[in-house]
Amino acid sequence: MAQSTKGKLNYRCPECFKRDIDMDMFFDEAKNEYYCLRCCFHGSEDEVLKRYNIFKMKYGRLDERVVDFGADNEPPKFKKHEAGEQ
Amino acid sequence: MENKLALNIIHRPELSPEYAERALGGKRDVRDESLDIFLFQQESAHECGLKTTIQITYASLFSDKIVEIAKEHHAQYGDEIGLSLLGLPCKQFKEKYKTEDFCIWMFDEETKKQIVDDCFGLFYEKFGFYPESTGSYFLDAFTIKYIKEKYPSVKCAVATCWEEGPKAYHTCNNSWYTFMDGGPWNPWIPSKVNSHCPASDANDDSGIVAIPHLSRDLMACFDGNGSNFGTHPQNVLRGMIYYEDEKGTEYPYLYNLIDQYRHLAKYNHGFCYNMVFVGPGWLNKAGRWESPYERLAKSYKDMMKYYGKLKQEGKCVDMTMSELADYYRETHPDYRRAECALWKDILYGSDKEYFWYADPNMRCCLDFNQGGAMIDLRPYVARVEQKTGIGTDNVYDASYPYLIQANYRAGYFTHYAGAGTVASCKIHYKGQTVDLCLTRTMATFQNEVNGVSVITNPVTVKIAGLEIVIRTTFMFEMYVSTLSLKNGETHPVGTLRITREILNDLHGEEVEIEEYFTGGFGTTEYQPDMTGVTLGAYRFVCDDNAENPLFPGHGVEKKEQSELQFSYKNRKIELGAGSSGGAYARIPDVNTEITLNGDEPDSCSVEEGIAFSPVYHLRVSKKLKGGEFRSWLSLRKAN
Repeated sequence: MAQSTKGKLNYRCPECFKRDIDMDMFFDEAKNEYYCLRCCFHGSEDEVLKRYNIFKMKYGRLDERVVDFGADNEPPKFKKHEAGEQ
Repeated sequence: MENKLALNIIHRPELSPEYAERALGGKRDVRDESLDIFLFQQESAHECGLKTTIQITYASLFSDKIVEIAKEHHAQYGDEIGLSLLGLPCKQFKEKYKTEDFCIWMFDEETKKQIVDDCFGLFYEKFGFYPESTGSYFLDAFTIKYIKEKYPSVKCAVATCWEEGPKAYHTCNNSWYTFMDGGPWNPWIPSKVNSHCPASDANDDSGIVAIPHLSRDLMACFDGNGSNFGTHPQNVLRGMIYYEDEKGTEYPYLYNLIDQYRHLAKYNHGFCYNMVFVGPGWLNKAGRWESPYERLAKSYKDMMKYYGKLKQEGKCVDMTMSELADYYRETHPDYRRAECALWKDILYGSDKEYFWYADPNMRCCLDFNQGGAMIDLRPYVARVEQKTGIGTDNVYDASYPYLIQANYRAGYFTHYAGAGTVASCKIHYKGQTVDLCLTRTMATFQNEVNGVSVITNPVTVKIAGLEIVIRTTFMFEMYVSTLSLKNGETHPVGTLRITREILNDLHGEEVEIEEYFTGGFGTTEYQPDMTGVTLGAYRFVCDDNAENPLFPGHGVEKKEQSELQFSYKNRKIELGAGSSGGAYARIPDVNTEITLNGDEPDSCSVEEGIAFSPVYHLRVSKKLKGGEFRSWLSLRKAN
């Protein structure tokens, strides 16, 4: 079996990323999967991308734009971000 | 100029960027690639009408092409040509210094001087003048002093990465040794003794204005990975803070972050600031982690476009680093004026709010999601000398020590036993206790004659059927009480006055308010040995039998004091009521004495921790049926 390689992009391990560790994964051609050297994660590209999307759910304001920082003792006001707008 | 964002955009051509060499695996010519990236960054700024500071690296001083481009851009766009002490690694450097090291603050003192002279000398040879700005990820006081003495034209430097310490180390799989927590988040004038500390006066002024490497999210970077939440679009991509729609990649968080920095003008007499410093490795053609080059490039262009838009709207002024230094000194004539930031969550959707404060005496953070608990405290007043580099006690760890760091050292929540570092308040009633750490609130900022205040929205504590409505005022005293007389010498003192007000009628019921400070010291998650710490409590009581020579008929105030030397035995000293009194810890390891004292307290106590829980506790408390309890947290230089 040939040694593992980097994939077409440097995908990071989604499980390590959840605990704030940037761990590049390697690609096992024989099994057609990415795997992590630090934890037991292994999975296809689709599985990796699916997990990234789950990770992003913690960013509750990911697609929102601040419209007003408001009074000091109040939360800011947001609106949905429009694509292409700044 | 007031309320306009002062902006520094810095580009460094690296002909051998530390990231790209490995990422490309030697498959392509990093020299050409690095030059292309530099040109792309320059073009992105210029086409949005923004000028830059070109920080020439050692490696690029050997490239006539880059030298020519820098001169052209200086003439055409007004870009400043500065000199970076990053980007040292290249064939010439490695052959000359016989090392793979590349961080200026990690070399021994003689080599630091040699490298500085080498870089500045070569710069002069190529450009015919000495630079006005320089920098690195971190610049220690020794290096700043040497640069300023030999090359006095330098007036601005990149001198730290805010909160890049153990968190960055962990994120990089424990391989990235940039330990430099504890500095200011916005520009400051570094002390001659330790570059993290803002200078206290002209004698302490190192002669430069320092800027942080990136403007970072003051909440997300403190709570989590320090490298995902800054004015560095590829860091934002690194944090996966973007989404895709039919029109492409969107990252509104990046604009929200810039806007929150603009909002900080409100707390800093109209001054607000942003810094962008993206190394070429982040824009390499092979992509960076999950992002292909196209997304990396788009994010950089989008950020420049946003700054350009702000400039067009009159909300932003692009400056070179030396211009920023002049502007900073003009707008900060008073060394004692604090940098303040009431910072809100703009990413996760919580109502969390922090207050960050930095002056020549201390840096601290209050968390209003925990009732205003102090979750970070750095005793700048101590001016811990802390030399860094080979041959010193801190080969790589340049972080300024904390007394409280609630994320490294637990804070309120611990597992089953022990205590974390945090300062807060407990309310006791009928044998039950509530900690204000469990009250979520927000606060209002106020400028005062003597400093600044932050005042919480009132919180309601329910204990044994009694409701107690409490408002807290944190008053940072910048100007009053800044000097104390000790053995005929003056010593700066950093003081925070904390007032807990009971706002409702307790119907004659009495509650006890206990102000506490649970501290440690160090720069990482791990506590060094504490046996050097002295703990003590004191109170002033009136001896009615003694004759007061100044006020006949009145008694004499006498001081009662007791101390213990820390030995992990859980011993406690407790003194009863006094006209005033307090508890203190003297920590020679970090040159600091910290005191918590109260106004007419009913009790003052100090307690040492145990081996399983290496902390010290300072407490003052008062029983009240209404009204308020005032206490003061003071920091002094010890030794």
